[in-house]
Amino acid sequence: MKKEILQLLFKRILTSLIVLFLLISFIFFLLRISPGDPSLKFVSPDLSPKLASKIRDSFNLNSSLISQYKQFIINLIQGNFGVSYTYRIPVISVIKDFLPFTLIFSSISFLIQIFVGFLLALISVRRINGVFDKTVLRLSLIAYAIPSFVLGVSLILVFSSMLNVVPSSGLSSFDAGSFSFFAKISDYIIHLILPVVTLSLSGVAVYYKYLRQNLEEVYDNSFVLSLRANGFTEKEIIRKHVLPNAINPLISVAGVELGILFSGALVTEVIFGLPGMGRLTVNAILSRDYPLVVGCTVISGVLVILSNLAADLIKIRFNKRLIKGMLN
Amino acid sequence: MTMRIKIWHQITAICFSLLVLKVNLVIKIFSLQLVFFNVLVADYSKAIYQIDFSLIDYFISAIMIIIIPVGVIFLRRRIKVFSLSLNFTSAIIIILAAFFVFAPLVANNNPDFQQNIGETKLLPPLSSVEVIHLKREVKPAQNLLDKLVKLKEEVIKNTYDESIIFADSLSISSNATIFQKNSQIILPKDRILYSDGLPVITREYFLLGTDEYGRDIYSRLIYGARISLFIGLGSVIISLLLGVSLGFLAGYPGGFIDTIISRVTDMFLSFPAIFFVILILALFGNSLFTVILVLGFSGWMSLFKIVRGEVISLKQKDFFISAKMAGLSNYNLLTKEILPIILAPVVVNLVFQYGSVILAEAALSFLGLGTGSFYPSWGAMIEAGQNYLTQAWWMVVSPGLCLFITLFAANNLGREIQLYYNPRLKG
Repeated sequence: MKKEILQLLFKRILTSLIVLFLLISFIFFLLRISPGDPSLKFVSPDLSPKLASKIRDSFNLNSSLISQYKQFIINLIQGNFGVSYTYRIPVISVIKDFLPFTLIFSSISFLIQIFVGFLLALISVRRINGVFDKTVLRLSLIAYAIPSFVLGVSLILVFSSMLNVVPSSGLSSFDAGSFSFFAKISDYIIHLILPVVTLSLSGVAVYYKYLRQNLEEVYDNSFVLSLRANGFTEKEIIRKHVLPNAINPLISVAGVELGILFSGALVTEVIFGLPGMGRLTVNAILSRDYPLVVGCTVISGVLVILSNLAADLIKIRFNKRLIKGMLN
Repeated sequence: MTMRIKIWHQITAICFSLLVLKVNLVIKIFSLQLVFFNVLVADYSKAIYQIDFSLIDYFISAIMIIIIPVGVIFLRRRIKVFSLSLNFTSAIIIILAAFFVFAPLVANNNPDFQQNIGETKLLPPLSSVEVIHLKREVKPAQNLLDKLVKLKEEVIKNTYDESIIFADSLSISSNATIFQKNSQIILPKDRILYSDGLPVITREYFLLGTDEYGRDIYSRLIYGARISLFIGLGSVIISLLLGVSLGFLAGYPGGFIDTIISRVTDMFLSFPAIFFVILILALFGNSLFTVILVLGFSGWMSLFKIVRGEVISLKQKDFFISAKMAGLSNYNLLTKEILPIILAPVVVNLVFQYGSVILAEAALSFLGLGTGSFYPSWGAMIEAGQNYLTQAWWMVVSPGLCLFITLFAANNLGREIQLYYNPRLKG
C-alpha cells in the first residue's frame, strides 16, 4: 500500500510539472504572437538604458527564438520575471508584498464556506422538506446565481452607504498605526466582513447543495433503518454513520472550489480595494505592465495547481480505494 | 377545465402590445422600407451607401414584430415548445429574447443618446424633464434620396438631436430664456418652435433614471441585454464546435491522439479560465470579437469531456459497429449516430455554459477589460455606478438586478432541461 501511495505521489507531481511546463510555454507563445514589439513585453521604454540592457541580457532577447524560449523557462522557474513597469522593482518582490493577503483572505473564506455550508446542511437534513430545509434550498439557488460583483456592490450600497455601519473599502483605517494590538485586529475584522461575505456566499450555496444531496442519499439507505431499529439515537446515526459516508464527494468539490476561489478573490479585491493579487493583476493589465501580468498569471497558476494536488492527496487520505483508479 | 397560460400566449402578447404602443414607429419603419426599395431600384449605389447596421436592425425588428406572432400562432401545434405552460424561467427568457430582437422598438432612446448633461445627469428613476423643441430648417424633399434621408433621420434614434433642449423652464420676453439646473441659455425668440402661438414643450420620462452622462438607463439596459446575449451566443457556438469536434477526434480513434488532447484539456481545466482570458485580453486588446473568441475558447473543456466519454462508450455498441460496417463516412457517423444520443447532456451543458459566459462577460466589463467602453454592457454599467454609489443607487441596482435575474433563469432552464431528459434526477 505504501509503495502505491509513493507511486501515486510521484505520478501526480510529474503531471503537475507537465501542466506547469505547458502553462509557461503557452504564455511564451501568447507573448510572441501578440501584436507589437515582443521585446517591449519585457523591457519598459521608460527604463534607464543600463537596466534595460541588463534585462535584455537576462532574457536573451538579442539571440534566437529557441534560446529565448529556453531562457524564458529557466528565468520563470528561478522566479525571475523581469522588472515591473510601474513599480520599477523586480516583479517577484512586488508579488511578495501582495501574495500573503490573498492567501489569508482566500483561506478564511474557504473555511467559512465549508463550515457554514456544513452546518446548514446538517440542520436541514434533520427534517427533510421542513420549513428550514425548503427556505434554505430556495435561498441557496438564489445565492448561487448572484454574481460576486453585484453582491459586493449591493452590500456596500446597503451597509456602507445607507446604514454606514462598516467601511466600504481598504484593509485598515487611515489612523491604524496608532492603534493597540487588539484594536488593530478588530479594525481588520470590521474591514473584512463585507469582502468575506461577498467571496463566501456562492461557495456556501455550493457546499450546502452537495452535502445536503449526499446526506439525503445516505439517509435513504437501509443500513440507517437497521441502525434505527437497533435503537441508536438519531444523533449517533448522523455522527458516526451518515456523515463519514457523505463527506467524500465534498472533498473533491472542495478541490475544484479552491481553484475557483482565487478567481473569485480577484473580483472581490477589486470591489473592496484590498491589497491582494487580484487587484494587482487587474491594475497591471490596465496599465499594460506586461512583466507583472506574466508574473501574476504564473504565480496564480502555480497556486491553483498546488491546491488541486493538495485536494487529491486529501481525497486519498480519506478514501484509500481511490488509489487504484487514480493510478490508471 | 382550467385554462393555463402557455408560452405562445406570452410571445403573442408581447408582440401585440409592442405593436400597439409603438404603432407610429412601426408604420414609419415600413414606409422607410418602401422608400428604400424604391431608391434601391432607381439608384443602386446610392441606396447601398445608406445602409448601416442600425437601418438593418430597425428593418428586421419591424418585420419580426409582424412575422413572429403570426408564425407562433400557426405553428403552435406543430412545435411543442410553444404549447408548454408558462413559468417564471420561460417568462424571463422570452422577455430577454424580445429585448434581443426588438431592441430598437422597446428602447426609448439610442443607448448613447446624451444632451444637456448638466440637466439630465444622475436623475432618479421615474423622473422627467421638459423638452423644448427648436425650429428645424426643413428643406423640401427634391428627389427620392432626400426623402429617404429625411425619413431615416426621423426613424432612427441618433446619439444627439440638435432640435431639442432639455430644461427646467422657459420664459419668453424679448428673448427666449431657457433655465436649466445651473445655467441658462438665451436664444432669439424665433428659434423656438411654436404651435398655435404657444411654444411646443413635451416631457421626457426616464423610467429607470439616468447615468453620469445623462443617458437613459432603461435604453442602455435593453441594448446591454442584446450585447450580453450576443456574446453568449457567439462564444457558446465556438465552445460547441470545439468541444464536439475535439471530443469526437479524441474519443473515436483513441490511442495517442486521445492522450495528447486529454492532457491539454487537463491543463486548461486545472487552471481557472479567467486568468487566461485576462492575459489574452491584455495582450491582444479587447474588442467585441476578441471577447467572444476568448470566452468561446475558454469554455469547451467540460463539453469535450462529455462528448469524449460518450463516444468511447458508444463506439463499442452494436448499432454503431453495424453503421460503420454499412460504410457511413466519419462525418455521417458523428451527425447521424452519435449526436442524437449525446444531445441531452450537451444541451444541458450549453445552457449552463451560456449563463457562465454572460457572467464572465459582465465580470470582464466590470473589471474594465470587456466591451464596456464600446457598447452598453451590464457589467460596465455596474462598474460606472460604483463610483456614484452614494448619489445614484439606481445606476447599480437595475443592471445588477437584470444580470441576477438572467443568470437565475439560465440556471433554472438548465436544471429544467436536465429534469426533462432525466426525470429520475431529483431537482
